[in-house]
Amino acid sequence: MYAASDSFSVPLPDLARTTTFRWTLVVGSAFAAFTLMLVAIVYERTERFLTARSDGVVTQQARVLSASEPDKRLDRIDWHLAQDPRAVQYVGLFAADGHRIAGNLARVPADLQIDGPAQQVMVPIGPGPSDEQLVRGIGRRLSDGSVLVIGRKIDEGAELTKIVAQTLALGLFPALCMSIVAGALLSRRAQRRVEEVNERVRRIVAGDFRERLPTRGVGDPFDQLAGSVNGMLDRIETLIHEIAGVGDDIAHDLRTPLTRVRVGLERGRANSRTLAEAQAAFDRAIGGLDQALAIVTALLRIAEIEHSQRFAGFSRVALARIVREVCDLYEPIAEEKGVKVRVQASGEPVVHGDRDLLLEAIANLVDNAVKFTPAGGHVELALLDRAGDCAVRISDTGPGISEDEREIVLRRFYRSDRSRQTQGVGLGLSLVAAIVKLHGFRLNMSAGPHCVVEIICPRA
Amino acid sequence: MLDREATMAKLLLIEDDRETAEEIIAELVEHGFAVDWAATGIEGLDKARSGDPDAMIVDRLLPGMDGLTIVEALRQEHVRTPVLVLSALAAVDDRVRGLRAGGDDYLTKPFELVELIARIEALLRRPAETRDTKLRVGPLELDLIERTATRGDRSIDLLPREFRLLEYMMRRKDQMLTRAMLLEEVWNYKFVPQTNLVDVHMGRLRRKVDEPHELPMIHNVRGVGFILRAPA
Repeated sequence: MYAASDSFSVPLPDLARTTTFRWTLVVGSAFAAFTLMLVAIVYERTERFLTARSDGVVTQQARVLSASEPDKRLDRIDWHLAQDPRAVQYVGLFAADGHRIAGNLARVPADLQIDGPAQQVMVPIGPGPSDEQLVRGIGRRLSDGSVLVIGRKIDEGAELTKIVAQTLALGLFPALCMSIVAGALLSRRAQRRVEEVNERVRRIVAGDFRERLPTRGVGDPFDQLAGSVNGMLDRIETLIHEIAGVGDDIAHDLRTPLTRVRVGLERGRANSRTLAEAQAAFDRAIGGLDQALAIVTALLRIAEIEHSQRFAGFSRVALARIVREVCDLYEPIAEEKGVKVRVQASGEPVVHGDRDLLLEAIANLVDNAVKFTPAGGHVELALLDRAGDCAVRISDTGPGISEDEREIVLRRFYRSDRSRQTQGVGLGLSLVAAIVKLHGFRLNMSAGPHCVVEIICPRA
Repeated sequence: MLDREATMAKLLLIEDDRETAEEIIAELVEHGFAVDWAATGIEGLDKARSGDPDAMIVDRLLPGMDGLTIVEALRQEHVRTPVLVLSALAAVDDRVRGLRAGGDDYLTKPFELVELIARIEALLRRPAETRDTKLRVGPLELDLIERTATRGDRSIDLLPREFRLLEYMMRRKDQMLTRAMLLEEVWNYKFVPQTNLVDVHMGRLRRKVDEPHELPMIHNVRGVGFILRAPA
């Protein structure tokens, strides 16, 4: 999705503002601090260890030299100094009056505590006052009153410091640089994705509803988010198309009665010679306007039901009662048409719903059935109380609908050619579909002659 | 057709749209009502308190205010003046809210003026909630216990639904009953179907109540509705 060629398209000040980059810096700093602390601990421990070792060495040497016989002592001191290629050893044997007898020290160091433990001390290594060296030193008064001083240079600490500094330079600095670079790369990648998304969203806002957010198909959270947003856009696009379609339908279906009214009024105005004739023209116009208003009312009702999110009006509704009420309402009309209405209600199923809306839906279906059933036929209203669900079934002996018509017949405004000649605005079934959907019920409709429609209510 | 007893009843109309208000007032005056008009909710509330109208017509969508607020305020002050709520909001919920707020009837715009008049007259003449178990209009008698109907000496054989319809009409004799009112009240049917349901039901009842040689009692007022009246 992203070409590598447009890397570094994000200017640095922008980069520094990205969250990813900031977090990288924070993590990098924490890492550096942790490393410094670790090195400091290692340094401190190592130095202590080295000091302890030096102390051990000088103490041991002092013991050995003190214990050696006086006549061999000077040889031993010389040998001792000769065995020191790194020149870290200092030995001095001084007479009781401070006069130097042997070794490479000029005087007895002033700060040295004789017969004390090993200590840090400056020892004189030349005649001048500045010819001094920092050592771990120890002093011993021997049995003949002379003083033995042993020292060991501790510049290993300085060595160590150098090594640590090098370690830091070689390890920490590149690591820090790398983390900053990684942060920059990561944040730029994230930034580019956000930029791309921004760009596409701008296009969507500008009216291109077919645009979608990019996904990489790797299923990371960003992908999942993009997927959800795309799903939302799909839904919005569908809705927009539906609304546009409905708008067209409204325009079309309103234009017919309105044109008729206009023509009727024009002719009435031109041709009426008596008040009665004018009134007749007015009546026809009012009838036409009523039809237009009925369309608008039906549409608003469908919209209201479809967008109704409130189920506050829902309660327990006994279907058998509604079925009987609808039958009661339509029986005379059917009889006038020579159509028989039969009711078959088994059981007393109760559903959770809106009584008025369910009555309206069933009444609409019965209204349709009665309308399309020719004289001599019958309409049957059956209430089926089954194990998994219950259903209201309306069947008639009318012409039914074809397979092709079945789906579109539920769409708003659709009227099959047959029904155009019958009174009604073609919204009845859309209304039924909206009510059924609101309740979470299902609508079944058979194709072929003798229409059978079922509202199936699953058991709660 | 007009309800003479309601003549000179005082009405208060609270409606912000001048043109609509003028249409309504003209129609109401023509039917013998005295009409006071308020264009805003505040003015309406004032007039409702001071003018003591017999009934009120309140539009829901007033500038900066829901007409129901007025109704609620009046009901809290125990003012029981009957109120007809007018609204462009047709939703079932809106209707329920309107009636719950204290409105006595609810009419959705656009409406026919005759429907408005019929409903106002109905509001002004709430049915006599008689404890009598027999209703009488002229020669017509309905026994609510025995579920029988007679006209003079002739007994009328009614189906339960016809009995219900006749009972409703007898409780509202001399009163214009529109199709919508009958559907709402008799069948508890809150929407207007395409088919002329009411006419068919009324036609059947009429054939049973008014036989060809008798003076008609059920009158069809063209384009409006039906009236039950004792024969003159």
